[in-house]
This record gives sequence, structure tokens and C-alpha cells, in this order.
Amino acid sequence: MARMKFLCDAERCIECNGCVTACKNENEVPWGVNRRRVVTINDGVVGAEKSISVACMHCSDAPCMAVCPVDCFYRTDDGVVLHDKDLCIGCGYCFYACPFGAPQFPQAGAFGLRGKMDKCTFCAGGPEADRSEAEFKKYGRNRLAEGKLPACAEMCSTKALLGGDGDVIADVYRERVLRRGKGSEVWGWGTAYGPGRPGAQPPQPARKS
Amino acid sequence: MRTVLAVVLLAVGLAACGEREQVIEPQSEKRYQGKTDSKPWDNESPVAELRGGKWTKGNMTSWEEQIKQRQLSQNEYKRIEQ
Amino acid sequence: MLLTRKASSQVAPQSRISRAATGALAKTMDRRTFLKRSGIGVGAGAVASQLPFSMIDRAEAKEDEGKLEVKRTVCTHCSVGCAIDAVVQNGVWVRQEPVFDSPINLGAHCAKGASVREHGMTHDSHRLKYPMKLDGGKWKRISWDQAYDEISKKMLEIREKSGPDSLFVVGSSKHNNEQSELLCKWVRLWGSNNTDHQARICHSTTVAGVAQTWGYGAMTNSYNDEQNSKSLLFLGSNAAEAHPVSMLHTLHAKENGAKVIVADPRYTRTAAKADKYVRFRSGSDVPLLFGVLHHIFKNGWEDKKYIHDRVYGMDEVKKEVLAKWTPDKVTEATGTPEEDVYYIAKTLAENRPGFIIWAMGQTQHTNANAIVRASNILMLALGNVGRSGGGCNIYRGHDNVQGATDVGPNPDTLPGYYPVAVPGSWVHWARVWNVDLDWLKKRYASEAMMAKPGMTVSRWIDGVTEKNEAIDQDPNLRMIFFWGHAPNSQTRGSEMIEAMKKLDLMVVLDPYPSASAAMFAKVRKDGAYLLPIATQFETEGSATCSNRSLQWREKVIDPLFESRTDHMVMYQLAEKLGFGKEFIGQKGTGAPNIELVKGKGGMEPSMASVLKKEINGGCWTIGYTGQSPERLQAHMRNMHVFDVKTLKAKGGKDAKTGYDLTGDYYGLPWPCYGTDKIKHPGSPNLYDTSKAVMDGGGCFRALFGIEKDGVNLLAEDGSYPKGGEITTGYPQFDHVLLKKLGWWDELTDEEKKEAEGKTWANDISGGIQRVAMKHGCMPFGNAKARAVVWNFPDPIPQHREPLFSPRPDLVAKYPTHDDVKVFWRLPTLFKSVQQQAVKDDMAKKFPLILTSGRLVEYEGGGEETRSNPWLAELQQENFVEINPKTAADRGIKNGDFVWVSTPGRNGDGSNTKLKVKAQVTERVGPDTCFIPFHFSGWWQGEDMLPYYPEGAAPIVRGEAVNTATTYGYDRVTMMQETKTTLCNVAKA
Repeated sequence: MARMKFLCDAERCIECNGCVTACKNENEVPWGVNRRRVVTINDGVVGAEKSISVACMHCSDAPCMAVCPVDCFYRTDDGVVLHDKDLCIGCGYCFYACPFGAPQFPQAGAFGLRGKMDKCTFCAGGPEADRSEAEFKKYGRNRLAEGKLPACAEMCSTKALLGGDGDVIADVYRERVLRRGKGSEVWGWGTAYGPGRPGAQPPQPARKS
Repeated sequence: MRTVLAVVLLAVGLAACGEREQVIEPQSEKRYQGKTDSKPWDNESPVAELRGGKWTKGNMTSWEEQIKQRQLSQNEYKRIEQ
Repeated sequence: MLLTRKASSQVAPQSRISRAATGALAKTMDRRTFLKRSGIGVGAGAVASQLPFSMIDRAEAKEDEGKLEVKRTVCTHCSVGCAIDAVVQNGVWVRQEPVFDSPINLGAHCAKGASVREHGMTHDSHRLKYPMKLDGGKWKRISWDQAYDEISKKMLEIREKSGPDSLFVVGSSKHNNEQSELLCKWVRLWGSNNTDHQARICHSTTVAGVAQTWGYGAMTNSYNDEQNSKSLLFLGSNAAEAHPVSMLHTLHAKENGAKVIVADPRYTRTAAKADKYVRFRSGSDVPLLFGVLHHIFKNGWEDKKYIHDRVYGMDEVKKEVLAKWTPDKVTEATGTPEEDVYYIAKTLAENRPGFIIWAMGQTQHTNANAIVRASNILMLALGNVGRSGGGCNIYRGHDNVQGATDVGPNPDTLPGYYPVAVPGSWVHWARVWNVDLDWLKKRYASEAMMAKPGMTVSRWIDGVTEKNEAIDQDPNLRMIFFWGHAPNSQTRGSEMIEAMKKLDLMVVLDPYPSASAAMFAKVRKDGAYLLPIATQFETEGSATCSNRSLQWREKVIDPLFESRTDHMVMYQLAEKLGFGKEFIGQKGTGAPNIELVKGKGGMEPSMASVLKKEINGGCWTIGYTGQSPERLQAHMRNMHVFDVKTLKAKGGKDAKTGYDLTGDYYGLPWPCYGTDKIKHPGSPNLYDTSKAVMDGGGCFRALFGIEKDGVNLLAEDGSYPKGGEITTGYPQFDHVLLKKLGWWDELTDEEKKEAEGKTWANDISGGIQRVAMKHGCMPFGNAKARAVVWNFPDPIPQHREPLFSPRPDLVAKYPTHDDVKVFWRLPTLFKSVQQQAVKDDMAKKFPLILTSGRLVEYEGGGEETRSNPWLAELQQENFVEINPKTAADRGIKNGDFVWVSTPGRNGDGSNTKLKVKAQVTERVGPDTCFIPFHFSGWWQGEDMLPYYPEGAAPIVRGEAVNTATTYGYDRVTMMQETKTTLCNVAKA
């Protein structure tokens, strides 16, 4: 069973915002709503700058789903987290819960009313008829139903952003890491098993005395 | 002897109690009452102009296969080595 | 995963500004910052009417209604040339899909490429929708007929009084090849050489310097070829922002072991991906390059055999570099520590083949013709030129600047670089254009003016305002056409607006009104017209990417609103001006050379016919003759057969036409010599002697003679393209050489008739080229590259300080050139400006170096991209990057508004200043400030919105950095010195 995931390879991300714009184009998301953003850390610091593209991570145990007071979230068979905008009351609790800031709220009206929550759908549309006008209007494009992958991942300028089945992503990423001889520590080998500093090297094997 | 057996049985019986559920099944999923959503593979393959994939309608495996193929074709290593 | 935090900003939505780290510590990500950039900001006023998810009735077609069609086109934003599949339904552009098959971009796009579908949207479009005229200070709508009538009447009036040289046509690098070639012709049929385009201010110095070194002034290899490289030196290129998709190839190479070094005054996003970043002072490129070369020579790392066989003059260069550019001198001039310079030298020497990559960082200086040659010399010394994986990868800018340079409106050349100063060029082109040469001569003010290169776009303002006695033509410039060119990419904007006050007529032909409209309306009440032009998605045609490949664009949609294609307007205006028939190559009642087809708004020249008849028929010098429309279209339909590393098609047959693609290189990169019948495959890597000529191989061009001062200029024995029958150096092919070799009789009778008395460059039968290549020889000869270019002001590249230099001590050591009385028809100052700056203590009043450059979201003058809401949202305000120390010294905090003042002058004598937001960052050193150049629409603090036509102002407006940039031009090409001037910054 395919398990859909995103992975952004920080060694390749050049902050071109291609993914951000591809998403706006494909889903016709209005000004003010950004389902995907590129985050840069250590901007301008020599030797330390890294960029990474972030959107909804479609968590297995999604906090947004857990806290929603009207239970408008559901997960598809491939692991994509979607929600029903007809049920959404715009309370914003999912926004508080999400560690990635994925829930977005269109700012309609004079008082910045929060409006229905909108977020990355992995280009899988929502609970309307697949590929229909109604689905497009509410949730954006359903590319999965066309046998395609999310627009952001398909258009990434350096193929940093990988989207699709987790197993395939792992294969692709693994090959890159092997060729580089580094990169995996960003994701947590050193972080998980080392002293816990970002970019830490994995612990060295014990020396024989 | 019986005490020992009882203790052993008790230990065996309680062995699994401290274990956590491995499979993630958020409770809220079971409470979703919104509109039903169809599965991506329950659609006809799109026309060629839309540059999508080809699969057998209703067949999950064929849809997944073509998605994986598409992913692999976007890996420039595969395209370069072709 | 450990979440890292960035410093949060206290100011409303800014992308870069809020990302500035105030220290080296990374802090947890602030979600407010993440969201803040999506806020209302500057632009939302323009889109406030936009409800979420376009609940408004879109004109867009509904899915399932009407047939879907796919048109394959190419992004129009930069020279990488990313292919796009545009899905059209009922004439409406509804979807945009990536083309994974493209060997160049493999489906990848940057923000601009991913946003092109917006060009097909009519709702809330900021395009110029109908012709407009400035009347009583307001932009009023008029009809095309009225526009043509009034414009042509005025033009003919002024021509009557002042002659044809009173017009300057600023052409475009965004025109496709066919339009560029037609515009070059159009201006010549009008009777003037006063035309130019963006290449002047972009890579003119590259083309001149590189062509004079070894023959052609273009990228030697391709973006793809970087995958075969072991080292990549980016010196003067911010590819991550200017050519994002090229980084796909670069990073792939890096992953496979290539060493990436970035040398830049700024720590750019490209530098963030480098193995090593080297900072150096803006403008000190020659000391840096020769500092590297010094170590190479000192350690004997140069490729001695290669130099012996293929390079002239390296000994002289070696002597000078070893004596003059010792480490202490290099560090003094560049500010770079010696170990960094040594690191570069060692890495390049140990990792061959390798590329040096550059863009504006090297080209936009007063001595850029020398800088680019220093780069060439470095690569020649390492033996990197003319092989896969090595050479000079010159990244061109606009999507068709390469093509426009090759075949388009240049002041000194006709299509194909045939110099206007050579009478034979006119004979050749009159023939190809099917125009009577005598008639053409009479169109000019005189035959002398016909042979004299025109003014350049970088100096048109001086053509208007300079004293008439000082300019080298009869009239001052009185009319200007901005035909697909923004004004804010040229320096001295404050003087440009003064020039606009004096113009009799300005016509802007553009899909967007552009800052020209706003600037003009700010100072004038009338005298300007705006004509809405169709985008490149609304026409078909070919475009040449940076790697010299040609790609054919299909027309996606019909011109929107009342816009018309460039070539339709050229034809219709030509008819009004009296040379319509000549424009399509019609003599009397004979058949026109160029077919006319029906377009929206009238008849227009067929692009395929222009390519076939004029470009393929006339551009023998650069090998634009083999790329017929049929071959190019077959390539576009069959991209999947081309190998990504070599760009070669291993096999494949086009289903539609049966054309066999085997052996072709993608896009038939020029030179693709001979007619399309001999099926030359194109040349992916220039000067490559390891390949046969008919397989895209080559050698250095014999352009400079056979010998100099007793030294052989032709290649040494044994150095020749693989399989060539002549194994020594040889001069360029002409009828004399063919006869001497005994190959003359291999020409057909028809070919002989044409080839008699001709050379490989003007034999329009293509026979000389065909026979030369049949014997494995390069038509342009086999010679040595020149490390010493004796016909340039500095035969060996010299370092010369910028005109506005922060180091008077170095100005004394490395002064600029002497003033030139007449240079491209205008008096051009060098020394006097530099000396005056020293005398006026400019370096003390303006102690910071001001440099400008690119942002990834915008492109060029920026009006097009800043009118696209998807892009505009990402960069809503202009800003200046300031080092933390520099900012602290001036009490400036991140996000404050500041005034950046420069030595530039306004009409009233005051110094120019720009109001921008401060971004405090360590990207720039304490001595440098950076402002992106894509903004316009503010004038020294004032929002110019009222001066734009209603509904056609860009969403995001800001200060144009070039309003405040200063005088300074390259000594060979009149390139503007945009990369280095002075400024000071103060809190607003």
C-alpha cells in the first residue's frame, strides 16, 4: 500500500520558491494563503545557510485531526490527511496544534475573519467528486486522481522536494546520501543518536585500545 | 509448586499489559462524519492531453505501480542512466 | 526532528527581511513568521476583490467541456529554457504540466517557470490591454488605427527634419529569433543603425571578449555538461537565483564529487551550496583571477602541451602574471586572504576538467572586456576549453538574449554578426532579404552612417541630451521606441527621466506598460504611446537558450485583450512608414520572401518562413543554417530520445514526419553548419577536437590572421578535429582554399555558381561548408586561441578600478582608461569621472560599495513578474542588504526604512537617493550593500502609481536601484558599470 510522503532534501533546496508557486498555480490559492513555504535557517551566515520547503506533512498521528472539535479531518488510504470544509468552523485549533503551521486561513472580510481552514492536500483534492469543478473550487486540484504527484514535487527546480510513495522517496534519497557521503545527519542520525545538536555527526565507533 | 505455577502463569498473563499499541489509529478518524471521499484509483485514467498516468479503474495496484513509475522517472539519476 | 528557529521580525510581511538572523545562533521556528509572509502587505489592496478560491465567475473553461489540447512551449523567463506543456481548452489556458522528457530541465521549474500560466489569465490582469496615448497628463485609450496614424505621422515628420538617425529602437532579448531578426531588418529598412537590446547591458562584454579570444562569444558547453565536470568555479554568478534549474545539473555534479567554489562579494544562495566560499571586493575580478593564475603558473600546473598546440601568447601573460600579481598585490586589491586564492588554484588544477561560470558579476564593469578574458585565459591555461566537462559556461540572461544577440537588433552587426562596417555584409543581407541594395543605401542619412555602428541602449539618454557637436551623427535622438525593454535596467535613471523631458516621441511596445510609462508621465503631459504587445505564449517561434540550443515554441493562446504580436506590429507600422513591401521581401509584384499569415488584428509574417528563409538562409557565420523549423519541431516532439549528459539522440524517429533523430544534439546547438539537408547534428561543446566535425566537434577559429610577429597563429600540427583530413592548423575556408586543396570540383554546379569568389561565411549555397566538413574540416579554420588580444585597449587583461571606487589609493595604482572623444557615436568619459570622484572625496561621502543583482522571484525590469500575484506575494518590498556592523554604526535596525544615497545626480543637482527597507544580514561584508534591481514604480520615495495607466500598474512597486546608479562604461562595448558604485545609507 503506498504511503504518501514529502521529503525536502536540504542539500539541494535553493529556496527558488518553485514549489510555492507551483502550488499556487495548480490550486489557484488566493493571495494570503500559502500552503507551502520555504524556510531558510541561518540566512546569510557563511557556511551555515540551509533551506527547506515545508507544507503539511500528512502526519500518521495528525495533531490537527486529534484536536479538531468538529472532527472534519480524515486520512485516505495512502496516508494523505484531508478535511471537509463544509464541516470546518474556522476555530483555528488545528493551527495551534500543527508543528509546521500548515493550516492556513484566507483573510476575507474587513475584520480578518478567519474563514475556512485551507491546507496542502497533497494535491488529492477533498471530499467532493474527484476532478470536479466543486472539488477544484474548494480544495484545489486532485492530481492523485489523475495519476500524478503533487505539483510542488513535480516542479521542484533541483528535485530537492520529493513527493510520493515513501519507499521510492527513501530509495531516491538514499542514493543521494551515499553519493554525497553526508546529509543524513540533518534528518536525525546524529540528532537522534548523538549529542542532539543539528548537523551533529553520528557517534564514532569505540576505539580498540 | 502450585504457587510457583500461579506466579509463572500470572507473569506470562500480564506480560503484554505494559505494551503500547503499535498501530496508529487516531480515535478521531473513527469519528469523522463529513462527506465520503472516493479513492484516486476509482477514476478513469485522464486523457493524454492532461499528461497523467494510465491505470485500470478500480485497481489499486495498477494505480500505485504507475505512481511509483512516475516518481522514478522524475529521479534524474534514472533519466541520466537511461 | 529538531526544529530550528529563525529570528522573528517585528515588521509586517517580509520574506527576506524576517529571515535575517541577528546572530549565528539558530532558534526555533516561529510560526508567526511562517504565516506573516502570507499577510496583507503592500499588494493586497490590488487583490482585495479576490475571494478565496476564485468564487467569482471565471472565464476559464470548465473541465469536461470542450476538447483539451496541449501546446508545447518554453518558459520565457531565463536562458535555461525549461519546457512547458500548456493545456488549453476552448482557447483558454487551463493547466500547466511539467515536461519530464526535456533533457534540459527534466520537468523542473523555478518560481517564475511554475507561474507562467498566469500569463493566460484575463481576470484581474495587469497587462496593457489596449493602445494608449498620453494626453493632458493622463493615459487615454485609443484604437490601433489611431495609434498607427499618429505615430507614423510624427515619425515621418521628425525624419523629414532630422533624418533617420533621430530614432533609437530599444529592441528586446525577449523577442524570439524570428522577431529579433525582423526587428534588426526593420530598423535597417527605416535607415538607421541606432538599435540595441538587453545584451548590451548583460553580456556584451562577454561576447566581445570571448569571441576575440577564440572565435565565438557564447557558452562553450551546456548546463547539462556540468555533470561531466570535476570542478565548478562560480565567479560572478548567482545561479541559484538567476538560473535555478541549472543548479539541478550543478548539484547533481556536486553529489558525484565535483568541487563547487563560489567567489562573490556577497554570500549568495549559490554560495550556500558551495564547498568553498571566497569573498572578494566587487570590481577586483582581474586581480582575483590572475592571483589564481599566479599560483597555477608558479607551481607549473598549466597544461603545457595544450598551450603549445592551441594557445597564442600565454608566455607573455605568464610573465606578466608572475611579476605583477603576487599574493600581496592580490590581497591588497581584492581583500581576499592568500590561502583562499591558493585553494581555488589548487582545486581547479587538481580537478579537471572544470568550468568557470559567470554572468553579470564579471560583465558589468568598465574593464569587463578584460575580466572575461582573464577567465578565458585561466581556462586555457588549465587546458579546459574544448572538452566535455570543461570550459567557460557563460550563463546568459533572458530567454532569448542569445538568439537576439546572434540574429537580432545590434547597433554594429546585421543578423549573424556580419559587421555593418563591412560593405560585403550589406550585399549579403540585401540578397537574403530580397531588398534592393541601392534603395537600402538611400534609406540611410549617408553611406558613412550606414557603415557606422549606432549608439547603444546604455547611452541613449546621452544621445538625447548631449551637445549636438559632440555626437557623431547629425541629429540628437528625438524619438525612442522601448520595444520589449524596461528602462530601470539601465543605469543613471535620474538622468533618463531628464532625457524623457526632451524627447519628441516615446513609444512603448510591451505586454506591460513598464516603468517607461510611469517615468514619462511623471515629467510630461504628452508625447508617448503605449502599444499592447502579445507575450511569447501568444505566438510561435524559436528561442535560443544559453547552451545555444534552439527550441521551438508552439502558440498556446491567441493574443489577449487587444494585444498584437511584435511581428504584426512591425509589419503594420512598416506599411504606414512606407517600407511594408520591403519588410516582407517583396520586389515589385513578385512573391514576397516571407509568407504572410492571418493573426489576431491583421496579417503577420509567418515565423517558420522567417526562420527558413532569412535566418537559415543568411546566418552562415554562426551556423544558424541547419536548424530548420522541421528539425526543431521534431526535436520538441521527441525530447525523450535525447541523453541528459551528452544531449545526443541515440536513435529515434519522429512519428509525425518520419525524421530520423539519430545523432542529433538536442536543439541543434549552433553552430549547425550547412543546409538542413546535410543534417549537421549541432555542436553541444564548442572547440572540441575529440569529436569529428560532423559530430559536433571543432577547434578554435582562425579569425585573427595566420601569424603575428613571426609566431604561428594557426593550431600546431597534430591538433585538429578528430578524423579531419588536414592534420595541421589551417585558415578559414574560402573558394581559394578549396581550389588549392583540389576540392573545388566536389561542389555541385549550382553551388559553384554561388561559391565563386566567396568564403564559408557568405556562400549562400552552403557548398563551401559542406565540402569542408565532408573532409572533416572546420569551415572557420583551425587556429590558436589568443591570450593576448592585440586589438583591444588592454591586450593583456589589466585591473582598472571602477570609476566610483572606495579606494583612492588603488585608483592611483590602477587607473581607468583615458576619456574617448567618440565611442559608439558619443563622447565617453573614464578618467575624468574617476579623477573627479577622487577630488570630490566621494569615497568618504559614500563609503560603501553599492552593488545590485537578482532575486529568484522576479526577472529583468520586473514589471511582468511583479504583476503576477503568485510571484508578487513572495517579495513585496524592495530592500537593501546591510552588514550588521554597518547597520549598527548608523543606528539602523532590521526592517527600518532607510535612504540609500549615491553620487548620482538629479536634474536639480541633488544626489539621488532611494527609500528602501533595511535587511541586516551577514551576506554582505561591512564594506558592501546590495539592492535587487527588479523593482520600479517608486521614485526616490514617491509611489508612482498615479502615473501608470489605470489597471495596468504592477502589484508590487518599489525603488529602482538604477535610478541612483552612476556613470561608467566598458571600454570596448559600452556595457554599463552596474556592479560597483558607491553609496551611503542613513535611517529614514
